[in-house]
Amino acid sequence: MDFRELKDRVFAAGQSAGLEELEVYATRTKNLHVAVFEGAVDDYRASLEQGAGLRARWAGRIGYAYVEKLDDDSVEYLVAGAKAAAQINESADEVEFHAGSGSYPQVSCFSQELAGVSPEELVAFCLDLERAALAADKRVAKVNRVLTGYEETEVYIANTRGLEQRFASNAAYGYVSALAKQDGQVKAGSKFLVERDWSKFNAARLAGEAAAEAVSLLGASSVPSGNYRILLRSDVARQLLATFVPVFSAEAVQKGLSLLKGKLDAEIASPLVTLVDDPLLEQGVGSVPFDGEGVASRRKQVIAAGRLVTYLHNLKTARKDGVESTGNASRPSFKSPVGIAPTNFFIEPGEQGFSDLTSALGDGLVIIDVQGTHSGANPVSGDFSLGAYGYLVEGGRVVRPVEQITIAGNFFRLLESVEAVGSDLEFGSLGGRGNMGSPSLIISSLAVAGV
Amino acid sequence: MLSERVVTDVLLAAMSTGGDFAEIFLEDTYNTQIRMLDGAVDEAVSGRDFGVGIRIFQGLKCVYAYTNEIDREGLIRAAREAAAALHGAPAGRAVVLSRLAVERFNPVRLEPQQVPHQDKVEVMKRAHLAAAGFHHQITQVAVSYLDVDQNVFIANSEGLFVEDRRVRTRLSINAVASKDGEKQSAFRGPGRHMGFELFDRIDVEEIARDAARSAVTMVNAAYAPGGKYPVIIDNGFGGVIFHEACGHSLEATSVAKGLSEFSGRLGQKVASELVTAVDDGTIPNAWGSQNIDDEGTQTRRNVLIEKGILKGYMIDRFNARRMGMEPTGSSRRQSYKFAPTSRMTNTFICAGESTREEIIANTEYALYAKQMGGGSVNPATGEFNFAVAEGYMVRGGRIAEPVRGATLIGKGSEILQKIDMVASNLATGQGMCGSVSGSIPADVGQPTIRVSEITVGGRKEAK
Repeated sequence: MDFRELKDRVFAAGQSAGLEELEVYATRTKNLHVAVFEGAVDDYRASLEQGAGLRARWAGRIGYAYVEKLDDDSVEYLVAGAKAAAQINESADEVEFHAGSGSYPQVSCFSQELAGVSPEELVAFCLDLERAALAADKRVAKVNRVLTGYEETEVYIANTRGLEQRFASNAAYGYVSALAKQDGQVKAGSKFLVERDWSKFNAARLAGEAAAEAVSLLGASSVPSGNYRILLRSDVARQLLATFVPVFSAEAVQKGLSLLKGKLDAEIASPLVTLVDDPLLEQGVGSVPFDGEGVASRRKQVIAAGRLVTYLHNLKTARKDGVESTGNASRPSFKSPVGIAPTNFFIEPGEQGFSDLTSALGDGLVIIDVQGTHSGANPVSGDFSLGAYGYLVEGGRVVRPVEQITIAGNFFRLLESVEAVGSDLEFGSLGGRGNMGSPSLIISSLAVAGV
Repeated sequence: MLSERVVTDVLLAAMSTGGDFAEIFLEDTYNTQIRMLDGAVDEAVSGRDFGVGIRIFQGLKCVYAYTNEIDREGLIRAAREAAAALHGAPAGRAVVLSRLAVERFNPVRLEPQQVPHQDKVEVMKRAHLAAAGFHHQITQVAVSYLDVDQNVFIANSEGLFVEDRRVRTRLSINAVASKDGEKQSAFRGPGRHMGFELFDRIDVEEIARDAARSAVTMVNAAYAPGGKYPVIIDNGFGGVIFHEACGHSLEATSVAKGLSEFSGRLGQKVASELVTAVDDGTIPNAWGSQNIDDEGTQTRRNVLIEKGILKGYMIDRFNARRMGMEPTGSSRRQSYKFAPTSRMTNTFICAGESTREEIIANTEYALYAKQMGGGSVNPATGEFNFAVAEGYMVRGGRIAEPVRGATLIGKGSEILQKIDMVASNLATGQGMCGSVSGSIPADVGQPTIRVSEITVGGRKEAK
């Protein structure tokens, strides 16, 4: 049964079961994933999956249910499941179903050219990546993980207020991790790319960067513990931003789980920091015409030259704060209740290139990777303490690789202590949390634990 | 679930291009998730996951496809699509299915689907009240409840035809303590492979109060000193250190390709002789237990390290080919959307002979990690990191002031050699373990242990 037929039947069954309002959110996803090992495909996954979630109101309260099998049983299960869930809900929050935004922006979120890339081409790209990484340097002993993939998703939303919208999006990704070996030491270097533009998939460049990074880390050792000036490479700055993204959610603010509560219009970051959420970004992997509640997308500044301009809102949090929704309702999947997430979320680039920043750092550490953001970082307090590695910089020059250190600090202090913002803005998509981007950043000081 | 006729046809279609092995994994899973914030339910979801995964081997190639379209046509289409990635002629082998009875050692008394939602909410309220009432600095309590009833059917071209059911129930408590605009949170998440009878077996209030106590202790603590010094890791969830630092590197997923620091080291001394470690999927009703693994092999108790000597790996059917070894009942997956691979079940360091008190009394200066947070590892380099959720300094053989914000980093093989005391108080804790085949329930465990030195990430200088 197609989504529209499912919607019609669920609405009819739901209304006779006494549900006051209903909303169906359904997706269909086609996916191909290829991994290669030593010149041969060793993992090839193809899938076609679909599913539908029902959000319904009963006695003023909201309940959710979802199914993956779209048949007669499922219509019944959705209605009974959502009603049972609504019956135990005690939240007094008023939830509004959106009747539609009138007009919706034209957003480029589907590439026909990318959709035309064949499985054979993806396999060939993956094999090229492995070959190129091995050929890049004789110290590269192994390519431990190399994969590519393609994903295409169709989103459908309809509710009993008359909303009915759909859109399709696609993207491809590539990842390569190379291991360099010397004198018994093993170092890994990896690169990840997610893009809608197939011409950006350059195997030699991606593999070359991964291999060069692995090799550059050979001979690494720790540094004495202390406070250091820090240059966060763009991918690390982006990873930290992604880790602390929940602090910008109005839901976290309203629930007292964000220290940004009461900080609207206050200076919360260095004047060099402007943070933007732009769902309309050309070729952005997080670009969408509407959000998880059907609200039309729009660009907004979250931090403007250091000043907090807005939180990210969905309809529920916006009503509570007496503002307009920012169009950031998120449904990472048809299984997920409505939450809040950014779309293409990034710090605006500055003027200086990465080598200029390294010179400007003077004496300090360049951090090129952090580990443990899911455990060593606390979005509530902003505290983080993360395993890290990178390079030691003296007099504006890289003098040697560094391993076995941790960097510790607080995200809010870090925003305030940004001394320089690079021109090298790069994006990377991280699960359902949106497409994050940052340039490289100089931070005046972080605590480093080493030897 | 599926007729033998359809299964046979799908397996033959999967092997039509030269595959030498094919497998079907069908799943029908019901689950309930309820979230409570500050004593009121604010979100509830009822869900049903349903689909089929088809896996084909051709030598050392593996192809996987999955779909929700599980009529005969949809399955044959998925099988053909997967088979198209291989090139060869059918081996002309016949598929003769024979039904296998599963020995069920994880009894379920109260099926969660039969328990009214209201009873689940009652348990959550008890947890909320116990945590919220513990101390005036507790400003928020989030409680969540989860039950999963997973029904699987597995068949393969070697004739396997088997069904299993996995019922799991878990309560999670997150207590937040605040002081002077600062917040610290503490988490407890007891769960078992059983039904609603879980709540007759555990003391919900006691666990909730413990979460609150931990959060209050941490919000009143100063930052931990950074540097390299001894660390005492307490029993229970402290076993996450072994899970991350060593367990992942003993999975065939990384061992088979020679990517693990433990590849090719069977029979060698890899740890202090005080260390014996096992992965045991057969502990009745434990969180990570299963009657059979996700490719239909019976789970078992696998000794990984015995008195410091490397004895075994965790091996799945596909990597068994590469390694020339037998599968160990360790193949797991989050759902039909993932090809299974070797994973941990319930993994722990076995009891030693000291006591926690002796270990502390014999330690001049150390970090005592009473509660661990999560962590991760790169199996290729063995480098791990994990967070200390509740820590204290040990000075002169006594537990001194509490400290927060510590992270432990290091290499698994080095830590194993540096374990110099092991207590007898083995306990386990529950976690969700994420890796290539998705997020799966796994128990971690250990007695209290002392490691002679670890790099501790913190904000102050040590000593």
